[in-house]
Amino acid sequence: MRRFWLAVGIGTLFCTVAAAQQKPVVLRGGKLLTVSHGVVENGVVVMENGKITAVGAAATVRVPKDARVIDVSGMTVYPGLIDSETQLGLTEIQAEDMTNDLVETSDEIMPHMHVYDAFHAESELIPVTRLNGITNAIVAPDNTDTLPGQDSFVQLYGKSAPEMLLVRDIALPLNFTGDQRRNEPPDKRKFPSTRMGLAAQLRQTFIDAQDYGQHWDDYEKKKAEYEKTKNDPSAKKDDKDAKADDKDKDKKQPPSPPKRDLKLEALLPYLQGKKPVVLAAQEANDLQTAVGLAQEFHMKFVLNHISHAQSLLDYVASLKVPVIVGPIYEEPKPEERYDAVYSLPAELNKRGVKIAFASFGAHDSRNLPYQAGYATAFGLPYDEALKAITLNAAEIWGMGDQLGSLDVGKTANVVVSNGDPLDVKTDVKQVFIQGQEVPMTSRQTRLRDQYSGK
Amino acid sequence: MANRFVRRLGVVAGLIFLVAWAAYGQTPPAATHNEVLIKNAVVMTATHGNITNGSVYIKDGKIVAVGKDVSAPASATVVDAGGKYLTPGIVDSHSHIALDHDVNEATSPVTPQMMMIDAFDYQDKAVYRALAGGVTTSLLLHGSANMIGGQAVVIKHKYGLNRDAMLFPGAPRSIKFASGENPKRVYGSKDQLPSTRMGNFAVQREALVQAQDYMREWDEYNAKVKAGDKDATPPKHDLKMEALADVLRGNLLVQIHCYRADELLTEMAMAKEFGYKLRAFHHALEAYKVADQLAANNVGIATFADWWGYKQEAWDAIPWNAVMAMRKGVRVAIKSDSGDFARRLNQEAAKTIRYGGATEEEALKMITLNAAWIIGVDDKVGSIDVGKDADLVIWQGYPLSSYGLPDKVFIDGDVYFDRSLPGFGMPHYKEGM
Repeated sequence: MRRFWLAVGIGTLFCTVAAAQQKPVVLRGGKLLTVSHGVVENGVVVMENGKITAVGAAATVRVPKDARVIDVSGMTVYPGLIDSETQLGLTEIQAEDMTNDLVETSDEIMPHMHVYDAFHAESELIPVTRLNGITNAIVAPDNTDTLPGQDSFVQLYGKSAPEMLLVRDIALPLNFTGDQRRNEPPDKRKFPSTRMGLAAQLRQTFIDAQDYGQHWDDYEKKKAEYEKTKNDPSAKKDDKDAKADDKDKDKKQPPSPPKRDLKLEALLPYLQGKKPVVLAAQEANDLQTAVGLAQEFHMKFVLNHISHAQSLLDYVASLKVPVIVGPIYEEPKPEERYDAVYSLPAELNKRGVKIAFASFGAHDSRNLPYQAGYATAFGLPYDEALKAITLNAAEIWGMGDQLGSLDVGKTANVVVSNGDPLDVKTDVKQVFIQGQEVPMTSRQTRLRDQYSGK
Repeated sequence: MANRFVRRLGVVAGLIFLVAWAAYGQTPPAATHNEVLIKNAVVMTATHGNITNGSVYIKDGKIVAVGKDVSAPASATVVDAGGKYLTPGIVDSHSHIALDHDVNEATSPVTPQMMMIDAFDYQDKAVYRALAGGVTTSLLLHGSANMIGGQAVVIKHKYGLNRDAMLFPGAPRSIKFASGENPKRVYGSKDQLPSTRMGNFAVQREALVQAQDYMREWDEYNAKVKAGDKDATPPKHDLKMEALADVLRGNLLVQIHCYRADELLTEMAMAKEFGYKLRAFHHALEAYKVADQLAANNVGIATFADWWGYKQEAWDAIPWNAVMAMRKGVRVAIKSDSGDFARRLNQEAAKTIRYGGATEEEALKMITLNAAWIIGVDDKVGSIDVGKDADLVIWQGYPLSSYGLPDKVFIDGDVYFDRSLPGFGMPHYKEGM
């Protein structure tokens, strides 16, 4: 068991190699949206060795002597945006199966699938996305399994997948939206074909995993006893008689470990509350079933979607967990008003729920900030909207000390644009990731230039 | 449970109806239209700039006057826009909503005799949701499974009225053609023709040749009759051939689903070969590669702002497509092709300001006047000009941004959506009608 935990530890701590920011970069004269401490007009941001080393009003910040100073007056400067659920690196062309590694459909219970094994660092979608200021994202498998595999937290710039996969197996999606049933076509129906079936299957799996964990714990205990006996001097006295007693000798054999089961093993950190489960439901009834399951097994969880659970928002607030909301473009049900989903972020915020936005896609991940913008039109305060794609997301994913705001000591993921980050008209001029000036090119800009005669 | 909820909503909607009419002092739309003066608005005309503190005077559903100083009789209902933006109603030039999944008659690659009006589910709430996003006119098209699909229906989003009251009066007929991946996938997967682009165009060419033969047979028959031949037997009336003959006669606006540059060129060549005109290419994500030729042939495009990568033929899509094509002289519309995008076409259009530097009016035209031209109703809607239908939207926030959302939507001078009303916000809607 200990060896297993060591492996998990290494996986979790597998962080990127320090970035190769060559010399300090200073952004001078911009309007800083710090997210954590308000707006600074005519501000300065200093980036050194991949970190933010100073932030503040131009008059108060000391600029390093060897720094490259970039005049960004008239520009707006803000932290890199974080998309709290994408399929970036798992898909290239939606309709072309061979370019997709989205989800294993052979079984509903696939927690031992790791998106880092498929993450395609060279995907053409990644430059397209980061050109709009998205610097980090959760990569999740598609949601057609109840337990489709574990998410990774990535940085959208780097020389290789290992450099971009900041945190592997950061969370486990648990999808309970009714879309995970194997019920089509009816004559080929197999278990689980109902919500009862899905819930029963999950419950059995969690119990199996608990038993599995118990077997390993028992083994570890026996092993410890054995080690203790082996090293105990009083026990050694009996060794004189050892050759005479073969049965005694048997007892001295180290206990044999249980057979490893990767599927059940993958669930242990979540059943022990060490990592969050991302609990996806859309309807009120599914939400309660999913939360019930998570609570039954003492799981730590964040909620996902809940687009049609408007009747349960007070209940959601009482759970005191964050919500990855939307997408707010999810169409309302026929009996719902046109803005039922658009207004969900505002309604959650009103109740003190911490929210984050996600594109829940790949090609359109670049449009993440516009969801936040549109939600403000339906009552979400602007600052909260910006937080929901920066600091809230960072905090939800345990990266609050490194990402999500313009603060000293944080990773220098900084975006320079010609205006309001949440407005569709705003053009992103430069993106810095770990202090490096990201080339502002993509397959799309190259096609544009080619056919513009550039 | 759901039914009870719906019934309860029906009661609410009924109340809204009464409240609304009390608020506007209008009679229901069946009666003659009252006169309305919308004043104190930033009028975005789409044709002649913005008028700050402008007014629009509406009589009998038409725009009678637009400007800074507009006089209206005291009897006119005054709507104070409170300094908000006023735009023409949004026109969606490519939609499949309200067809109850009957979008594709995917049993044959040539089905021009399909009439989308026969599938028009006028009670579909998607019509309402688009209305709440400012859409007042939509072109409901056949899908793209067939090289030659069916004939479109043009609707006004008068949600709550009966089916025929929602049809756009006098709108020209459009027919949907398609090309590329969809037909070859649909029929190829059934091991039928077409399964390649060669097959696609062969099917299309063959259908057009048949239509030429059909027309010749009728011409010959008519000539015989004219010459006094009383024994002449008329050819069979064939709906499918009649529809194709109407394409060749120029009686239908041809709307072609087409992605790749090479196929845009092939479709234009085929139109030339058979002597019909193309109205617009839809999707047209590679229009930027052949924009000169599109402009030379006066073919418009109805495209996405930045949607891409969903299939191989959408792989070269770039968000600068709309503006690059426009700068070459192509009439460009941004369309929804989805119940979702239809609700926020204003934001999609605004993206062209960022990607390529469209002006405010150019961006607005892409979801109003240019879209209306593609449908063939630009003489009636698509701008705030005297004589046009009073299809208007008052916006909270600036419409060409992330923040614009419709406060009130007028169609033919009547309010069909009012955000401030409780429930669905629809004065004309009663659940179950």
